[in-house]
Amino acid sequence: MKFRCERDVLAEALTTAGRAASSRSSSLPALSGVRMEVRGDELSITGTDLELSIRLAIAVGGERDGAVVVPARLVADIVRSLPSGAVEMELEGEELGISAGRSHFAIRPLGLDDYPVQTESVAEAVTLSSSVVADALRQVVRAASTDDARAVLTGVLVAAEDDGMRMVATDSYRLAVRDLPENDMLAGGQRVLIPSRALNELQRLLGHADDLQVRLGARDAVFEAGGTRLTTRLIEGEYPNYRNLLPSSYPNVLTVGKDALLEALRRVKILAQDATPVRLGLGGDTLRLTAITQDVGNASEEIDATYDGTEMTVAFNPDYLAAGVDAVDADEVTLSTMDPMKPAVIRAVGRDDYLYLLMPVRVP
Amino acid sequence: MRIVIARCSVDYAGRLAAHLPEAVRMIMVKADGCVAVHADGGAYKPLNWMNAPNTLVADAERLVVTNPKGEQLTITLHEVLADTSHQLGDDPGLQKDGVESHLQELLAAAPHAIEAGMTLVRREYPTAIGPVDLVCRDADGKVVAVEVKRCGEIDGVEQLGRYIERLHLDSTLGTVRGVFVAQVVRPQARVLAESRGFRWVEVDYDELRGLAPTDLRLF
Repeated sequence: MKFRCERDVLAEALTTAGRAASSRSSSLPALSGVRMEVRGDELSITGTDLELSIRLAIAVGGERDGAVVVPARLVADIVRSLPSGAVEMELEGEELGISAGRSHFAIRPLGLDDYPVQTESVAEAVTLSSSVVADALRQVVRAASTDDARAVLTGVLVAAEDDGMRMVATDSYRLAVRDLPENDMLAGGQRVLIPSRALNELQRLLGHADDLQVRLGARDAVFEAGGTRLTTRLIEGEYPNYRNLLPSSYPNVLTVGKDALLEALRRVKILAQDATPVRLGLGGDTLRLTAITQDVGNASEEIDATYDGTEMTVAFNPDYLAAGVDAVDADEVTLSTMDPMKPAVIRAVGRDDYLYLLMPVRVP
Repeated sequence: MRIVIARCSVDYAGRLAAHLPEAVRMIMVKADGCVAVHADGGAYKPLNWMNAPNTLVADAERLVVTNPKGEQLTITLHEVLADTSHQLGDDPGLQKDGVESHLQELLAAAPHAIEAGMTLVRREYPTAIGPVDLVCRDADGKVVAVEVKRCGEIDGVEQLGRYIERLHLDSTLGTVRGVFVAQVVRPQARVLAESRGFRWVEVDYDELRGLAPTDLRLF
C-alpha cells in the first residue's frame, strides 16, 4: 500500500474514523486501530468498537493498492504533527512508513485479519434534510443519560407518530421531545432506540452535508452524510412510558426572553456550587433568580417576565435548566408548571414541535 | 497451582472445534481442576479454558483435559520454558465493594423484597466453586439460589448457573431455582436469565435502606 495525501485532509479523516475506534483495552487489540485501504486513488478509513463504526473515503494519490490496520490515536497524532503539505504513507514488510518533508515515522501495524468485516445494510435508504435532523438532534440528544447502568436511557427513542416522527431522550431528570411532522423515515408504529453516543458523532458529520441517508435495520442503523458512513447498533429494551408525564395544560405559565434568562442563569449559577439549585421566584412582572451556597455567599438577579398563575418558588439544577432554555429555537420561552414538586415544561413561544420537561429540585 | 510457560498449540473439541496455533503461552492448572490458557494480552480472559469438574491427564508432551460432557482440551507442549507449582492454600475470598456487599446483607435481612414469602436459609452458602450469595426457601418450601449484583450483567447470570449446577449435586436440597437480583439488570442479562429459567429482580438500594429518594425523578 502506498499513497500521498494532503496532511489536513488525512488528519481530519483519521480523527473522524478514530472516534469510533475502541478506547478501552479490549480482547481484540485491532479495535484500537483504524483500517486504511487504498484502491486506485481512493483511501477508505474505518474505525469501529463493534458498537459504533465510522467509515469515510477521501481522494488520494494512490501508487499501490493495499490495506493495513494502524493504532488510531497514534497515527492521527503523527499526521497532525507533520509539517503542512503532502504526507506519504507506504506499507513495507512489517512497518507502515509515514513521511512528510524531512520527517519519517515507522509504525508496526495491528492485525489486519483480526479486524472485523463490515457488512452492508440491506435496509431501504431514506433521504432526509441534514439541517432538519441536525436541528432536532441538537435539541434532543442533550437530555439522554450517560449512565450505562440504565442502558435504555443512553439512547434516543425515534418513533413513528400519526403525522410523522418523534425523537425523545431522557436521563430521568429531564426529558426532551421533538416532533418532525411529515417525516416518513419510519414504518407505522416503528420505534428504534439509537445510542446517543452515535447521534453525537452524527451531529458532527451533518455540518458538512446537505442530505442524510438513513437505513434502519432490525439491529442496527446506518447514516450516510457527505461521504461518511456511520453505523451503530440499536439499543434493545423497553423505553419508559413518557407520555403520562405530558399534561395537556398547566395552571402557571411564565413567559421570558430566552437570552435574558440564559444570561441571568450564567451569572447566578456562579453561586450555585456543590450541586445547589437555582431558585426561580415566580410572580408579578419579574422573574427573580437566586442561588445560595452555604458558607460562600449568594447571588440574585431580576429580569422582566410575564407570569400568569400562583406565586411560588421553584428550584432547578441550573445546568439542566440552561440546557433546556438553550435548546428552544425562539426569542421567547415559556416555563409552565403545576407546583414546585412537579415537572415543569419549557417550550418556545409560538411553536409546539419541541418541549423540554424538567424535574425540579427539592429545597427546604 | 501449576503454572507452565510453554510454546504450545491447543485444540478444543466439544460444542465446536477450535485450534490455537503454536505460540508461547501461559497454562494455568488450578488445584480445583480448572485449566486455562493465557496469552500476553486479552486482559483477564483466557484464550481457552476448561472449568472444573474435569479430568486432567498430563505427560511431558501434552495435557489432556476432559469434562463430564465429553468436551476435550488438548494442549500440546512443543517447548517448556518454565514449569512451577505452588500450594496457595485457602483463599479469604473477594472483598466486595460496599454497595454490593451491603445489598446482599440487606436482602439477607429482608428476603421478601426479592419474592413474597421467601425466607433465608443461609448467606454465603458454601459450594466447591465458591459461596452462593443467598440460599433461601420460597413460599412453597423449595430451595432458591440468589445471586446479588450491583449491576446485573451476563457474567452474573452465568455465575448463578454454575452455582445451581453445584447445588444440584446435593440431593438433600431437591430442585434448586435461581433468582438473579441487582439494582439494574441489563437487557442481555434478562434474556439470558429467562432462557436459563431463572427469575430476575431489580431492587432499590435506597428503599431497602429505608431512605426516601433524595432527588426528584421523572422515572
